[in-house]
Amino acid sequence: MAVKAFSDEWAKQFEDEVNKSSVYKAAAKGWKWTVGLVVEAEPDKNFPESRGVVMDLFDGAARSIKVGSAAEAQKCDFVITAPYSRWKQVATKELDATKGMLQGKLKLKGDLPTIVRYTKASQEMTECTTRVPVVWPDGN
Amino acid sequence: MHDPGAGRMARRKLRTKTNTKPVEYADGEPSAFAAMLGGLIEANVDSRADRKKDFDSLVARVGIWVTDIDEGVTLDFRKGSLVVYNGLQAKRDLTIRAQAGTVMNLSNLKIGLLGMPIYYDEVGRSVAMKLVQGKLRIEGLLGNFATLNTVTRIFSVQ
Repeated sequence: MAVKAFSDEWAKQFEDEVNKSSVYKAAAKGWKWTVGLVVEAEPDKNFPESRGVVMDLFDGAARSIKVGSAAEAQKCDFVITAPYSRWKQVATKELDATKGMLQGKLKLKGDLPTIVRYTKASQEMTECTTRVPVVWPDGN
Repeated sequence: MHDPGAGRMARRKLRTKTNTKPVEYADGEPSAFAAMLGGLIEANVDSRADRKKDFDSLVARVGIWVTDIDEGVTLDFRKGSLVVYNGLQAKRDLTIRAQAGTVMNLSNLKIGLLGMPIYYDEVGRSVAMKLVQGKLRIEGLLGNFATLNTVTRIFSVQ
């Protein structure tokens, strides 16, 4: 059943998808940092307030994924920031996350060698988001 | 040109590298790709003595063009410093053309014995396959094989 984008239900389904993924489990072995996704507000897209997704990821598993404020997400070890519509493009496979980062469409903060070392894990995490059926605030 | 670090000479040092940043950007607004690659190299060189040794010895102009985003950079290595340019500049020794994912994979090549990149593990095989398929093109390889290996080591986060 489809859930509202960036809602608590979405976060739970996303967490389940990550923990179901054997690809992620293998690729993220040794990962021990938190990741925050900042989803910037776009009122004209019916997404009036910025939100944060705080992901506690450890050694190939998602210990928790929660939706909170943008400020909470900004405290994570790695922070990826983009407007709502960019995240929608990533989740609907219109935009490849790696390309998005190289183009500056997704802004990354954190230790670059570490994130590059886990490129495959981050790609699989993106795949996991695409498996969650979503109702978008500006329509599908 | 006089090299102040080359040995004993009766001249004052013309410049010192100790207080300068190892990576600088030629453009006032480096592209996201330029900033990312420059940041990656700087972090690598700062944290690993073997990478620093390679960085301090390398003189080469290397272009990297990401074919699926139509963006590129030129990395001008100058023995212990690097200037990153947006786009491809003239007089490059090597030019690497590949898709974004392959460029990221180049940074994930493991380095083996004698400082040679490993092409027989999963990442290495995928890079080698791209080369065979023509999806990774390296211009100027003839005569610059050692330079390519050094650049690969400086990129490598493994």
